[in-house]
Amino acid sequence: MDLIAQTLADGLVLGGIYALAAVGFSLIFGVLHVINLSHGILVLLGAYLALILSDALHIDPLLCIPPVMVALFCIGYVYQRLLIQRAVDRASVNSMLLTFGVALMLQNVMIWLFSPDMKNITPSYAFNSFKIGPVNFDAVRVSALIASLILLSVLAAFLRYSSMGRVIRATAQQTMAARLCGVNVRHVYALTFAVSAAFAGAAGIVIGIILPFSPNDEGTWTLNAFVVVVLGGVGSPAGALIGGLLLGLVSTLTAQYIGPAFPNVTMFLLLVLLLLVRPQGLLGNAFSASR
Amino acid sequence: MKRNPKLIAAVVALAVVLLAAGPTFLPPFYVRVGQLMLYSAGLGLAWAILGGFAGYASFGHSAFIGIGAFTAGLVESQYSTLPPPLLLPLGLAAGALSCAILSAVIAYPILRLRGTFFAIAMLGVSHVGAEVTNNIDFFQGAMGLNFPPLAPAGMDPASFFYELFLAGALLTLLISWLIRRSRFGAGLLSIREDEDTARMLGVPTERYKRVAFVVSAVLTGLMGVIYAHSLGYITTDSVYRDDTNLSLIVYSLLGGMGTLFGPVIGAGLLVFITQVILGRLLDFHLFATGLLLVLLILMAPGGVNGLLNRKRRSA
Repeated sequence: MDLIAQTLADGLVLGGIYALAAVGFSLIFGVLHVINLSHGILVLLGAYLALILSDALHIDPLLCIPPVMVALFCIGYVYQRLLIQRAVDRASVNSMLLTFGVALMLQNVMIWLFSPDMKNITPSYAFNSFKIGPVNFDAVRVSALIASLILLSVLAAFLRYSSMGRVIRATAQQTMAARLCGVNVRHVYALTFAVSAAFAGAAGIVIGIILPFSPNDEGTWTLNAFVVVVLGGVGSPAGALIGGLLLGLVSTLTAQYIGPAFPNVTMFLLLVLLLLVRPQGLLGNAFSASR
Repeated sequence: MKRNPKLIAAVVALAVVLLAAGPTFLPPFYVRVGQLMLYSAGLGLAWAILGGFAGYASFGHSAFIGIGAFTAGLVESQYSTLPPPLLLPLGLAAGALSCAILSAVIAYPILRLRGTFFAIAMLGVSHVGAEVTNNIDFFQGAMGLNFPPLAPAGMDPASFFYELFLAGALLTLLISWLIRRSRFGAGLLSIREDEDTARMLGVPTERYKRVAFVVSAVLTGLMGVIYAHSLGYITTDSVYRDDTNLSLIVYSLLGGMGTLFGPVIGAGLLVFITQVILGRLLDFHLFATGLLLVLLILMAPGGVNGLLNRKRRSA
């Protein structure tokens, strides 16, 4: 019984982080209809920036979130305007391959800059933990989860209540109609990309304090984001949260009860199954692109 | 310009003879490069039957390389007492059969997905295949499988496999050519252009897609079996490779998506660039491939063929 509770708790914590790591991917997919295969790179970029910042300034890595988000916001905006925008209106496979090309280049650059070794961000409370009932919680994981949930709520509120958020949602629903109402769609695309990149960077910091990372991990984080989005539904923080929690639970449960090597297998079986039965995701923002 | 079938046949025959004679006059390094080019061209062609003609770009075709290779290896180790000339056909048959069965089964669910969803679902198939092979002891993916040496006595193994890859690539080219000029091929092209309209006009899209998928998978599997023999020893990581998954798309993109010779041109060029020009700069490979991909998408979405056509039209 304790084992089940512990596994479930671990799964939920992991799931919250998956959700944060996927929300940017989901937003880009929902608004630009681009599968951003360089998402994992943006996540890692956040992690490395935080590593450098927290080492240089001796501050808590979670305090690095605002500056890193600003940096990635700018990078994302420029990246979209310079490269992605040129492929947005072409076939979907083209824009996907474009981002993949960028991911390969940046991965190579990261290997040059940061070496291919595993790195870790270690905050001062890295080895503290506490118990609620029989279940053990690491301080790091809990703070990571709380940071994820706060950031997700901020994004949800931004999309729901701010005028910029409203414009982004309108563009996602009907690009043409938004354009007719005077929305500068290119700017909105770039802005969406920038916001997504910022959240990817924040996710990178949160990931960096609980898991080791290296430039070779980018594929994993991109794929996780994809799975989360397919599970939860496109374009909404709530969808990402549901998908992320589900993915976290499934992978920890599989690792615990079937074998540590099988989370990816169950993950993909679940993914294919869901694509077939409910292609719009659990929180169905229905969209036609999948079939 | 009117096409003269006899002339074309003569040119093709000459090219085949020249290619087949390659190992006799090429230095050893270029025999290796030629091997890799022919292997890549064969894979690219097999991929393009589904990805180029029907527009279903798969991101996980290395699944079939792996399945073909591991089936062949496991079957051959069961019958290791047979003489080597019988082992290869046995391995090829086993590899082809397993790819055919598996692709026919997964075709039903997976071909219902379109575009990027199909691409990523195939990536999932190849990852699941890799993990299953790696983690179930029966498949020996983590430990590795040995293949018996096949080259007849007195022949350099590199030349022997060069010829095998050539045969595989030619078979695939022949099949693509036959498909391209058949009613079936026209049906596949119509699926790429507009699947719903094609279906409305009476093209049996579901059946065509499935057949193209299985043919593509079987041919990929055959190349995988030959590749495994040429390596002599394989683990999961040497056949289920993500860079193969990517390269297959790049070949077609580089050569010209949906054209018959596109994948051949693309494979030849890319192998030449990475192996010969960048051969010494291993650290630079990822970056170069990425850069090439970005430039291609931005500047020449039609590939080499597209550029040539554009020039011809403007001239």
